[in-house]
Amino acid sequence: MTPIWSVASITFKEGIKNRVIFGIVIIALLLFAAATVITNLFMRDIVKVAVDLSLSTVSFAGLLTLLFVGVNLFAKDLDKRTIYMVISRPVSRQQYLVGKFFGIVLLAFIITFFLGLLSAIPVAISKRIYYYPEAGFDWRIFFIAVVYIFIKLCIISSIITLFSSFTSNSFITLVLSLGTYIIGQSTEAVRVLLVSGIEKVKISPVLSFMVEAAYYLFPNLSAFDLKIQAAHGLPISSSYIIWTVLYAISYMAIVVSIGTLAFRRREFP
Amino acid sequence: MPVIIFDRVTKDYKIGFRKKKTALKDFSLSVNEGEVFGFLGPNGAGKSTSLKILLNLIFPTSGKVEIMGKDVKDKEVRRFVGYLPENPYFYDYLNPVELLKFAGKTSGMDSTHIKERTESLLNTVGLWNERKREIRNYSKGMVQRVGLALALVHDPKIVILDEPMTGLDPIGRRQFIDLILELKSEGKTVFFSSHILEDVERVCDRVGILVNGTLVRGIDLRSENISGRLEDIFIEEVEKAGGIQR
Repeated sequence: MTPIWSVASITFKEGIKNRVIFGIVIIALLLFAAATVITNLFMRDIVKVAVDLSLSTVSFAGLLTLLFVGVNLFAKDLDKRTIYMVISRPVSRQQYLVGKFFGIVLLAFIITFFLGLLSAIPVAISKRIYYYPEAGFDWRIFFIAVVYIFIKLCIISSIITLFSSFTSNSFITLVLSLGTYIIGQSTEAVRVLLVSGIEKVKISPVLSFMVEAAYYLFPNLSAFDLKIQAAHGLPISSSYIIWTVLYAISYMAIVVSIGTLAFRRREFP
Repeated sequence: MPVIIFDRVTKDYKIGFRKKKTALKDFSLSVNEGEVFGFLGPNGAGKSTSLKILLNLIFPTSGKVEIMGKDVKDKEVRRFVGYLPENPYFYDYLNPVELLKFAGKTSGMDSTHIKERTESLLNTVGLWNERKREIRNYSKGMVQRVGLALALVHDPKIVILDEPMTGLDPIGRRQFIDLILELKSEGKTVFFSSHILEDVERVCDRVGILVNGTLVRGIDLRSENISGRLEDIFIEEVEKAGGIQR
């Protein structure tokens, strides 16, 4: 466990000290401030708008952190050969990769935790000024939604780990990870649309198959988007929590394992 | 007793889809315990390739490589090895203390021992007063010194150095030579590549000249008296081997 933890720890330290993180946090703070102002422009459902904007900001900042800091934590190691100082020690390639993954997850945790707490401020302000009992807001659901943003970021971290295991180019990893994120956010909606059928439109079996394949191959990230539930105070069943968490853990385990298999035979000339 | 063994090692690199370049051809070499071995050769001769194979950073196409009787694929072997790569690059936002802590932990050292070694090594390489500065603010020579401290933090039995004198000023070079002699007096095995033949002649017990992936000559400086002629021998051997094929 020590080598994995050591790699995770050094990855986290290198990531958190990166100046880009400060920039991302400042953007997030500005968006929180903007959310407080913008909500005043709405005529109704002001608390819901505040919740939506706040959670979107946390999610956006987390995604930026992973794409601009997380991706580089891998790419720089491989490109500048910093990996030599790790692999030349009693650390296997698999331990390195898993350690890197946990380091990025730790970074995502700190960012989500910090911004998740701050995201409550615009919501609390709008709630204090405009709250009416019918709005049905529940802080517990709000913070469950924040935890789900973190789980979503963990899945994206595993995707970055997978792509980094076979490419040293940060741009390729960034494009592939971003592509996976976009597909992962929309597969469920597209699938639901195709399954329910569109009037007078004949759907080709090839398209149906492709959408079905994408649904199982790519992570279903929309399952971790609980903004609507948080905004409307809709209850989240315990079975939903259990299944989505199990899905996330299994998906990450499979993706990181495939990454370690690819990385095991990788050379660093 | 040999602690490093290359047994008929060949390494091919793929260039594009079909082409390949042979970096090492049927290369055999052994380095004994407590020896300081200098590895010489023109640029592109395969020196770094052989050192990287030794550290399991790349894999041989054929042949066997062992450290202390164990295959280099066994990661536990690297507990006894310290490595300084050519032009080392470390984490930009960390300071040398954090790097040495990482190196010590991954090599199985306890925190107290790491602290002691960190202080003593950073003093030796002249960086103790700079220990809180992030590596990205260091000069090339300072980074090289950090690399040296990293290679030695776990008190390895075998020290492998790839072009260690690169980027060092004359004082740094002198300190480095003294350090190699100190390691030698402690009974460590030092295996290093270098282009500075004068220094090699001063500190090494044996040297090997590698040209185009083949070991063309081994010289035991303890028994052969070449007094200052290493450069001539080196050029002669390179020319005899047909120069450099790139």
